[in-house]
Amino acid sequence: MSLNIVNNATCTFCGCVCDDIELHADEERIIEAKKACVLGKAWFLNHTAERLYPEALIDGKEATVDEAVEFAAELLDAATTPLVYGMSNITCEAQREAVGLAERLGGVVDSHTSL
Amino acid sequence: MVLVDIRETKSVKASDIFLQIRPGKDFEVITILRALVKEQPVDESQVQETGLTLEQLQDFVDRMKKAKFGVFFFGMGLSMTRGKHMNSAALLTLAAELNAFTKFVAMPMRGHGNVTGADVIMRWQTGYPFAIQFGRGYPRYNPGEFSTVDLLVRGDVDAALILGADPGATMPQPAIDHLARIPTICLDPKVTHTSRLSRVHITTAATGISAPGTGYRMDEVPLPLRPALKSPYPTDEQVVRRIHEAVLKKPDWLQQGNRMALNQV
Ligand code: SF4
Repeated sequence: MSLNIVNNATCTFCGCVCDDIELHADEERIIEAKKACVLGKAWFLNHTAERLYPEALIDGKEATVDEAVEFAAELLDAATTPLVYGMSNITCEAQREAVGLAERLGGVVDSHTSL
Repeated sequence: MVLVDIRETKSVKASDIFLQIRPGKDFEVITILRALVKEQPVDESQVQETGLTLEQLQDFVDRMKKAKFGVFFFGMGLSMTRGKHMNSAALLTLAAELNAFTKFVAMPMRGHGNVTGADVIMRWQTGYPFAIQFGRGYPRYNPGEFSTVDLLVRGDVDAALILGADPGATMPQPAIDHLARIPTICLDPKVTHTSRLSRVHITTAATGISAPGTGYRMDEVPLPLRPALKSPYPTDEQVVRRIHEAVLKKPDWLQQGNRMALNQV
């Protein structure tokens, strides 16, 4: 199996966002995370590329992403004041989309900063 | 390093001076410091209430003024205890006022990965860092009114989209109860506590591990993410964009509202 080595990978587990991690990975999982702290190691080694969860759930039942996206849009559009919350463990690109969505919905957008 | 806390923590060993203040007196301490910085007289009885002496506080002020570059690092002990946002605001004001003497900044300590990015992105798009309400068609900012825990506990929102967070595991129970009552949609690499009380869960790629993009470090330095794995799941960015596109196909509530208002005239 070929080993993929990523130099200067970025850890997003905590606010320090260390950007000098050396990752060794095969197709499915990260085997080593050099220079990461205990928390960072656990973060990198715990997430794999396996299919461990259903792609989507609607009311607890398995569904396709297409169905889930459509239903999510319906629920959010039907609401008077929907809340978009969290935003900490996602990329800036995803955050940008989320703010745009909240604006269109006429809702609220908020992050962990408010805690 | 000067450490201010209500109890002796492990960080005391790393600090040069430890100031132990009474619980819930953060605002009072900061306000007295602000007065001392401006060489205003302070009331002895008010100093006593804080658990510190006037000498300790004056010494602290002298050190801050003498520093070439000072930083306040503050955490939830300040922003989540009595006074809440007002404590944070007071500290930011103190940092601003110290700039009449030297360079001083205040920086929140961050627990979660890219929460700094959330601040930066929201500031860029709306002018405000968090707790933003678009209900009038333009952004309004008011922590305490539009911050999540307050909104949920009061029951002021009627749907929720949760991204990169697990409030179902961490928030106060009344907030969790409201999330379970309203239709909640949750995007996460794992099926979480929040997913279980949600009507919709969509599994997404893990940020920085199998999802590429940008993340901000606590001191607002943007860093590229270099994912080592390929996920079988879509990224948060892709899913949010698709939800946004699906919503855009529906009639725009704001234009409808405007039309109704015009018809009434
Ligand atoms: S390696 Fe450790 S300190 Fe660095 S960002 Fe990850 S969790 Fe934080």
